[in-house]
Amino acid sequence: MSALLRAELLKLRTTRTFIALTAAALGLSLLLITLIALLQDDWVEQDVRELFTGDFTGLFILLLGVTGMAGEWRHRTITSTVLAAPNRLRLLAAKTIAYAVAGAVISLLVTLAIMAVGTTILSVRDLPTLGIADLADGLWRNLVVSAFLGAFGVCIGGLVRNQIAAIVGLLLLTFAIEPTLLAVAPHIGQFGPTSGAPNGVLQLEAFGDDTDILSPAVALLVLLGWLGLVFAGAATLLQRRDLV
Amino acid sequence: MAAVEIRALHKRFGKVEAVKDLSFDVEAGRVTGFLGPNGAGKSTTLRALLGLVRPTSGTATFGGQRYDELEHPSSQVGAVLEDASFHPGRTGRNHLRVLAAAGEHPVSRVDEVLDAVGLNDAADRRVKGYSMGMRQRLAIAAALLGDPGVLVLDEPTNGLDPPGISWMRGILREQAAQGRAVLVSSHLLAEVAQSVDDVVIIAKGELRGRGTLAEVLGGDDGPATEVRSRDPEKLAHALESRGLRVERDGDVLLVPGATPEQVGEIAAEEQVAVLGLAPRMRSLEAAFFALTEETT
Repeated sequence: MSALLRAELLKLRTTRTFIALTAAALGLSLLLITLIALLQDDWVEQDVRELFTGDFTGLFILLLGVTGMAGEWRHRTITSTVLAAPNRLRLLAAKTIAYAVAGAVISLLVTLAIMAVGTTILSVRDLPTLGIADLADGLWRNLVVSAFLGAFGVCIGGLVRNQIAAIVGLLLLTFAIEPTLLAVAPHIGQFGPTSGAPNGVLQLEAFGDDTDILSPAVALLVLLGWLGLVFAGAATLLQRRDLV
Repeated sequence: MAAVEIRALHKRFGKVEAVKDLSFDVEAGRVTGFLGPNGAGKSTTLRALLGLVRPTSGTATFGGQRYDELEHPSSQVGAVLEDASFHPGRTGRNHLRVLAAAGEHPVSRVDEVLDAVGLNDAADRRVKGYSMGMRQRLAIAAALLGDPGVLVLDEPTNGLDPPGISWMRGILREQAAQGRAVLVSSHLLAEVAQSVDDVVIIAKGELRGRGTLAEVLGGDDGPATEVRSRDPEKLAHALESRGLRVERDGDVLLVPGATPEQVGEIAAEEQVAVLGLAPRMRSLEAAFFALTEETT
């Protein structure tokens, strides 16, 4: 298992996709945080907390996971991958863990960067900032959600082999279906995998009042439930599929 | 136990029977050509052998074990498949490093196999810039990474230029000479005739012929011998008296089902001078068409 994990992490490091998506996530997140920190005037502590979680990292990590798995079919490398690791369940597990690690690493880089830049700008503007404990609290929440999204993306890529279809489906889920559910039926939307439950972990109040947000512990369980569900589906399909 | 054993292998895709009750062995130290027209079931058979396709029934094993049961599969079996694909943005060296990591092979093997296939100079270029020949060399390098005892190659000469085909032929012979069992599918008959020891021919998913190259080229009667003699009538009588069938063509006698050694010994016993003695074989192409009932 550790050999497969090493191989998957090496795969990640040896193409430009990982670097490009990390750079894009970092660049866009820094731009967003800088603009908000510079332009918004009325700040309370919750605003600062949300400033350091409302970035683009999750979307890019989700896309990274999808391309990591669905790309195996797109580039037809799945054959050599399965030849090297004929136990397909272990292969999927290694890839899922690898992209969870990758998600956490990207999130660590981006979160530390935006916390440093955001805190500096807010300090210069003599606005409220977060203490070390609050920053650490925000950091672990970001890492957990990012790790989940990386793993979730891999499993979605295992369920939907067509990379474009998988990405379009996830974008629809993230930007249309879940926001709509959160707006019109928050008691259902709060359980969503890309916004609802992650908001519970992050304690974001994007829609409605805080009664529509799951507690972090429940949100974590919901995320694990989603991951178990999509992993089981992807594993079943991967094991049944003939690679012709 | 043979290095590769295919037993009553059957594979159905929906209503299509791709492989039907196929059985054959591949021995160590020999190159076995796996021949058949397009759609014969060659790739399906090899993929079933490699655990990529689940057989409907029957088994395909390496030394009695399925590919996915092997302890370190890439240390025992190396494979080059027809659609060998690589991530276009990864370098050749990194592709091999990934496979080395997954197979728990030392990183030093990467340079060794790159050297073996002559790809050192291009190793740090992205694969999208590789020619077809370079991709095939990379695929061979990947197959050799674990120094396996069995090589399975699906149409490895597809898209190669003549020097590439010659190089591939050399690689196959070299690997067999080192004791490896080599199973190679191909539809390039002339190429196979120069490279293989044994032949397995399939068509429409069914076994149509198998044996050594000489046996398959000999046709249904097995080997045949042409002999010229100073006294063809006496020799023909001697051969027929020993139960052999003789076809006369002037001074030349054709003896189906007999090897040159057998005919020569009979001529010596009868003290008949022999002027010429040679095996008569069908071309592999003729044998192939005869066995697969394909015409051009």
